[in-house]
Amino acid sequence: MIGRAFRATFRAVLSDGTALMLLVGSAILYSFFYPSAYAGEVPTRIPIVVVDMDNSGSSRALVGRLRAVQQAELVARLPSPQAALGWIADRRASAAVLVPEGFERSILRGEQGTVALYGNGAYLLRGSTALAGVGAALGALGRDAATDQAMMLGAPAPPAFSVVQRPLFNTREGYGSAVFPGVTFVIIHQTLLIGLALLAATMRERHGARRFDAGELVGIALAFFTIGCANTAYYTGFVFWFQDMPRAAGGFGALAVATALFAAATVAAALALASLFRTRERPIQLWIVTSVPIFFLSGLSWPAEAMPGWLALLARLLPTTPGIHLMVGINQMGATLAEQRIELLNLAALTLLYGTVAAVRYGQFPARGGEGAGG
Amino acid sequence: MPGAGAAFRDGWRREIRFLRGSAWDLALVSWIPLLLLVLVAVQFAAGVPRALPIAVVDLDGGGIARELTRRLDAAPGLRVVARPADMVAARRLVRANRAYAVVLIPRDTERTVLRGETAGLTVFYNASYMTASGAALRDVGAVVQAHATRLAAEQGAAVTPGAIRPPPIAAHTTILFNPQGSYELQLVVLLHPALLHLLFMVAVASALGRELRDGSIGPWLAALSRREAAAAAAGKIAVYLAIFMAWGVVATGYLAGLRGWPILGSPMMILCGYAAMYLAYAGVTVLVTAVTLSMGKALSATGLYAGASFAFAGAIFPIESASLFARLWSALLPYTAFAKLLAEQWMMGAPAGVSVPQLAIMLAFLLVGAVAGLPRYIAAASRPAVWGRR
Repeated sequence: MIGRAFRATFRAVLSDGTALMLLVGSAILYSFFYPSAYAGEVPTRIPIVVVDMDNSGSSRALVGRLRAVQQAELVARLPSPQAALGWIADRRASAAVLVPEGFERSILRGEQGTVALYGNGAYLLRGSTALAGVGAALGALGRDAATDQAMMLGAPAPPAFSVVQRPLFNTREGYGSAVFPGVTFVIIHQTLLIGLALLAATMRERHGARRFDAGELVGIALAFFTIGCANTAYYTGFVFWFQDMPRAAGGFGALAVATALFAAATVAAALALASLFRTRERPIQLWIVTSVPIFFLSGLSWPAEAMPGWLALLARLLPTTPGIHLMVGINQMGATLAEQRIELLNLAALTLLYGTVAAVRYGQFPARGGEGAGG
Repeated sequence: MPGAGAAFRDGWRREIRFLRGSAWDLALVSWIPLLLLVLVAVQFAAGVPRALPIAVVDLDGGGIARELTRRLDAAPGLRVVARPADMVAARRLVRANRAYAVVLIPRDTERTVLRGETAGLTVFYNASYMTASGAALRDVGAVVQAHATRLAAEQGAAVTPGAIRPPPIAAHTTILFNPQGSYELQLVVLLHPALLHLLFMVAVASALGRELRDGSIGPWLAALSRREAAAAAAGKIAVYLAIFMAWGVVATGYLAGLRGWPILGSPMMILCGYAAMYLAYAGVTVLVTAVTLSMGKALSATGLYAGASFAFAGAIFPIESASLFARLWSALLPYTAFAKLLAEQWMMGAPAGVSVPQLAIMLAFLLVGAVAGLPRYIAAASRPAVWGRR
């Protein structure tokens, strides 16, 4: 019974072009398409401008340092602050550095030489990337200036603390490596959900809603489970390597268990959702609009702590929320299953919940043919 | 032969009638957009992350370290959730998603500071969670800095009077156009139209594709002249244009009115931008439907085309340093032009004229779609062989 349903499901997938495209084709397509948006990784050439109104040795040294900033490219030296703001306003520059008159004099007198930085907040991320680079250059210059001051005024008291920042796990620190490994599981989740629902709706449209007993349902679920695991293996095994994402930090056993649980919860949710549709195109129409909110709800790019508590809890009803934490945890952070047990339990609970919903729903339908429920 | 005006009205009424009778299609333009807009609005209403969990590994155990830990916990952006005994335990907390960062206070910190020397602290942060750990990092830096200044004032001055100097170079940073550095403004302003244009394209692809799938395009358009058929299709699309313009007004009104993020440029221009964006996607949808002649395939193509706009628009992630393909794809999305218009008109307060090129770019998509797609779509009305493709 299980075996027959399993084989029949694969035959159905293979004989339906759109379903095949959704379940297998789009996973491959997206694995090349999506990372191309982040292919530049840390954006290295964010344009900045400088206005040097001091025109001293120190200010020239500062401008020289700006040229060497990795994140930014010094595209112009402008005569006035107004000109610099104009460059920012029409987006020729993302940030501006203003060195005021008297900059060097202040430093040599033992006072503070103040540099004004302007970033474009309409492009928050770019502006702050450029400014972070400029800040680092100023820090280096500050050490030189401290030496100059010391020669004039004697050694200063050292600060009480120095802080070293060290990234853990995703040491590449690009946008791509922070976003794509999460987006991956939204892609796998959405294609599986839509593909399965499309096939189920097509079947219901042609033959009417029909009951599936437990054995058949398990066979169908196993077929989609196989596809889900294959897609996950393709991404974690090939795509993360090909696109050079942080990967393979955890053990193979842990990854296999995580993959199985993520695929199981997703298939259970897909089966439950699919019981609602009775028109072939309906699942695509209603479900593709959810991908972006589902990604942000996962808490990878926007922390769950910054959402209202009830929303963070509701987000845990989506297999992607624990799935992304778990997969990033094991793939990038090298976490063990014990460390990620909350996510594992979350996924197991969802499998149980949606599995039960699916079993009840499909058990209710008439044995052969008849009316479906909902759209 | 009803004439173009009458055909437009017929197309409009026909679609309204259909929507009244189809709960799910009505849902797609009513409560589903509302739900998604609210979801995004609620999620980012906090603007900046607060009370992010961090851990402190205090190998020193002295008063200065305890005071620093207390100050870290008191910072609004941070919450010290654990004080593990060593880094092994701390890393385990990070791997279990229980802390975004770990502050390591080394042995002998107290003695070093009291001797008037510099104690080296290390902050480890989980770079896999970039936004959260970045925010935690900034706050840790600020707390440590403030604590150091206070200590210097208390102790350093006693050692060598006059040796306390401010750091020789200071930077005053001003974030133009978004002075609070708010992610609510930055993200919601962009995510709402990202959702709306996708919903709009799905709705129009469904409306145009449905007639092909059901073969109803024949009785609807075959008897009309080309001009009238074009007007009838325009009437159908106009229903969705009107509905989604209303959602655009709601989204803009929410952020500008209810949340008080002022529009520094022209609100009128933003609404023109919404209209131009929808028209552009209508053009693309006509083209995609005419090429695929299948509702299912047109919808799948919509997901690929309009579903990934947010990543490719270059508004959040810089697209300039991406591959040639990505830059080309970005240029082929009307949303890219709309995002520029939004930045200019909402945040940067540019004169309305500055954004006219963006409107022109978007309207070009409509023109191309109408010229290249509409004739083929209309022609399908008299080709029963292509009806019913799934």
